[in-house]
Amino acid sequence: MALTEDRRRNTVRLMALQVGIVVTFAALAISFWFLQIIQHARYQEMAENNHQRTLALRAPRGVLFDRNGKVLVENRHSFNISIVREHTRDLDRTVRLLAEVAGLDAADVRHIVDRHRSEPIYQPIVIIEDASLAQVAAIMARRLDFELPDVVVEQVPTRQYPTDALAAHVFGYVGEASEAQIGNGIRTGAIIGQSGIERIYNDLLMGQDGARRVVVNSVGREIRTEAEVPPTEGRRVQLTIDYDLQKAAEDGFRHAGFNGSAVVLDPRSGEVLSLVSLPGYDPNDFAAGIDSATWASLNTDRLKPLQNRAIQGRYSPGSTFKLVVATAALEEGIVTPDFRVNCGGGASFFGRYFLCHLKGGHGAVDMRHAIEKSCNVYFYTLGNMLGVDRIHQWAEKLGLAGKTGIDLPNEQESLVPSTEWKMRRFGEKWYAGETISVSIGQGQVSVTPVSLAVMMATIANGGTRVTPHMIRAVDEGGGWKMATPPAAADQVAFRPQTLSALHDGLWMVVNAAGTGRRARIPGRDVAGKTGTAQVISNQGRQAARGSGLDLRDHGWFVFFAPKENPEIAGVVFGEHNEHGYLGAPIAKHVIETYFAKKEGRPLPGLAPKPAPAPPEADPDTAPVERAPAVAEASRPAADTGTN
Amino acid sequence: VFERRLYHHVDWGLLTAIATLCAIGLAQIYSATGGWTNTVETQVYGIVLGLLALVVCLSVDYRSLADKSHLIYIAVVALLVYVLFFGAVRGGSRRWIDLGVFNIQPSEFVKAALALVLAKFFGEGRRGALTRVDFIVAGALTAVPLLIIAQQPDLGTSATLVPVAVAVVYLAGMPMRLLGVLTVVGLLAAPVLWQFGLEDYQRERIATFLDPEQDARGAGYQQIQARITVGSGGLWGKGFTEGTQGQLRFLPVAHNDFIFSVLAEEHGFAGVIVTLGLYLFVILRSLEAVRLAKDRLGSYLVLGVLASFTFQVIYNITMSAGLAPVKGLTLPLMSYGGSSMIATLAGFGLILNVRMRRFTN
Repeated sequence: MALTEDRRRNTVRLMALQVGIVVTFAALAISFWFLQIIQHARYQEMAENNHQRTLALRAPRGVLFDRNGKVLVENRHSFNISIVREHTRDLDRTVRLLAEVAGLDAADVRHIVDRHRSEPIYQPIVIIEDASLAQVAAIMARRLDFELPDVVVEQVPTRQYPTDALAAHVFGYVGEASEAQIGNGIRTGAIIGQSGIERIYNDLLMGQDGARRVVVNSVGREIRTEAEVPPTEGRRVQLTIDYDLQKAAEDGFRHAGFNGSAVVLDPRSGEVLSLVSLPGYDPNDFAAGIDSATWASLNTDRLKPLQNRAIQGRYSPGSTFKLVVATAALEEGIVTPDFRVNCGGGASFFGRYFLCHLKGGHGAVDMRHAIEKSCNVYFYTLGNMLGVDRIHQWAEKLGLAGKTGIDLPNEQESLVPSTEWKMRRFGEKWYAGETISVSIGQGQVSVTPVSLAVMMATIANGGTRVTPHMIRAVDEGGGWKMATPPAAADQVAFRPQTLSALHDGLWMVVNAAGTGRRARIPGRDVAGKTGTAQVISNQGRQAARGSGLDLRDHGWFVFFAPKENPEIAGVVFGEHNEHGYLGAPIAKHVIETYFAKKEGRPLPGLAPKPAPAPPEADPDTAPVERAPAVAEASRPAADTGTN
Repeated sequence: VFERRLYHHVDWGLLTAIATLCAIGLAQIYSATGGWTNTVETQVYGIVLGLLALVVCLSVDYRSLADKSHLIYIAVVALLVYVLFFGAVRGGSRRWIDLGVFNIQPSEFVKAALALVLAKFFGEGRRGALTRVDFIVAGALTAVPLLIIAQQPDLGTSATLVPVAVAVVYLAGMPMRLLGVLTVVGLLAAPVLWQFGLEDYQRERIATFLDPEQDARGAGYQQIQARITVGSGGLWGKGFTEGTQGQLRFLPVAHNDFIFSVLAEEHGFAGVIVTLGLYLFVILRSLEAVRLAKDRLGSYLVLGVLASFTFQVIYNITMSAGLAPVKGLTLPLMSYGGSSMIATLAGFGLILNVRMRRFTN
């Protein structure tokens, strides 16, 4: 009895077990159905995110060539060392170990990581840009030991600029895109041009980053490449710059021993053959991310190495401005080149006595000799006859008002006053007496070196105000294509007698009794003019004595050559070099180099530095006003920051 | 001992299903470890030795074995004690006896030994309702190895002993009222256990299970990865050896605890259903052996062996889908592990044994 009862009970209990197990398995099957079928897409994506990484492949920027095809700026391979937090187990340990292995300060590394904290964890945080080979080797060894699985070393193309900071301000520099620059095809972390050609032609030069999709394992080791879109290198760009002329100009400054700026143009086209601003900086410092100490020192340097003086420095043009007054007077038909003024060492205008620099006076001078001797009285007289507005008008025609339109970022406007300007700026009438100072390039005239170069090109070519430009050709992928040069900003055909008077006068400055004799090259007929930019008025100089500021005057030398059918024109600006004629040898060296190159002769060298010569009499630096100019003394300079 | 006519009563269907599961497991180990590795080779040895053990357990009449059950039980418990003091330590647990060529894990053999001794205890010479003494004896027989294994520590394996005892007692006629009482007591004891019975890391594991995202790098990692692994498999899977989760080691111990996840990834829902079906077939077929068994000893023996097997299968597969806290419980017949394979196959030897001898006296 018990046995059958036993059996029946067992049958029931076994049945219950059976049902229980079947139900459990059904539940399992449903769970798998839910995970594998219903939620498949979601988990599929998670699995892919798990094991696939898309790495950006930085595109090399376009190579820059000089006008003769010489490579100026190219790319080299450098190594970046980054942390990928996704694979980090212990960030503190990684930071400590990485700092130790690479010889860095752990706090600095920590700081970099913290700054990128909010970025996605799979995005590498670059800790060391342009790592040394020793650092790379040390890291790789630790990586192989699985000690630093979250540290990656990647090879990236990095800008390689010429040594000696050659043409630094022409090229500019590159840097990581700032918040404000992101967008419009520029992604976080992109390296873009921040200054100079790098910036203004960034779209051409930047290229297109590629991408590589790789499969990684659970510790982040790359297993294989799934797909790769190679980066497209930026466009190759040929500049109008001539390497040898650039070097000649910079060597000239180094040889002469002062800072400053030079701009050399082809007056026929406006092509910039050389553009110098000294002191410079080494763009290579920026190429792989500039360290904060270097950046701070560049920014706080009193000499302002980051300022491109050629387009951003504004200075009083001094006697070089007399060419504007001469052009205006001749073209307006107010005088002929034979117009004579008797210089007795000074002259009175509107009740004030204005000095010439030569105590005894130049006697009776015509236009040519007035230019040669830089006679102040002659140009006071012309300026007085013209009035400030006509001077302004012709200054503009010669390129001295506003911007020249050169293809570099952040060009400053040159300023030549006018009655309208003064009313707008100060709400005051123009005093005719102020015109007298303006006519010798003083007062509120302030110009950039590049604008004076345009003035010389315009005088050289007979009235075409060229737009200076630096891009000659672009390789869009199918070979070189000449760039379309910008149109001339203005075109006036100067009268023949204007041209011959100006050219003769300028020729005499260099080749006769003028101040530009140091630029003389036999047989080349160099034409030129010196000038001095007062840094501070004589009264101000007294007040500022002992302030430690360099208050010595700046010197100008503007030039073109040869006198007939000029091929080269430009300006040399010597910062605090006191005398315009000290810039003439630099111009001479550039011109000699130009012709030597053109004719296939060996390039000239620079003579060993001569013993300091006794200062010559410099007509540009003599005081010009006996009586204090009341109207000006009471007025702050229009631009105090340009000296 | 082995009579020729018995050969015809061997459950070939069950045996085929078991062999198929072993083969699937072997293939997945091959895939998860990246080719013909030592691991695969060891598993092959495990299967061969396991089949030998199966044949041995099949050949000897289970009644003779039951007569020696107390000796077998004592021997195994002695091995456990030995391991506790002299065992090889790996991964922080002392579970293995190092025999030079290979290691054996005695705790795997406790299940069959316990099933045997409990079957003998309840199956022979007893009639009528169970007494309180019966429960205490059964409890003690289970508790001794359970507590020793828990000391190794190996809570997973020790937990598999509970189903053995519960199943045998259940079939032996435990009053349903008692079952209810035990359930209630268990529920009430849970918070107390949570507070005093668990180590910090264990509490953490359970907390993590309830919300894996809170610790996505640590304990929750495996669980999340298990779900990703299974879910990304889809209907047909990524293909043999094509699984990224297992191949690239996002899922740890893929050839061991998470072998079923790898299968689900590479062969998809289809592969899951086939494998689940095979396991279900094995379990139901064995339950049939319980019913068919000639005597209560046979029934209890089969059910005891089957209980730990079933418990482990269900728990491991649930865990493989990321639906249960991660525990070091392997999937019998498929996971890598020689001792487990040998013990499991030996257990099935006993099950086949009982069924085969249902007509003998």
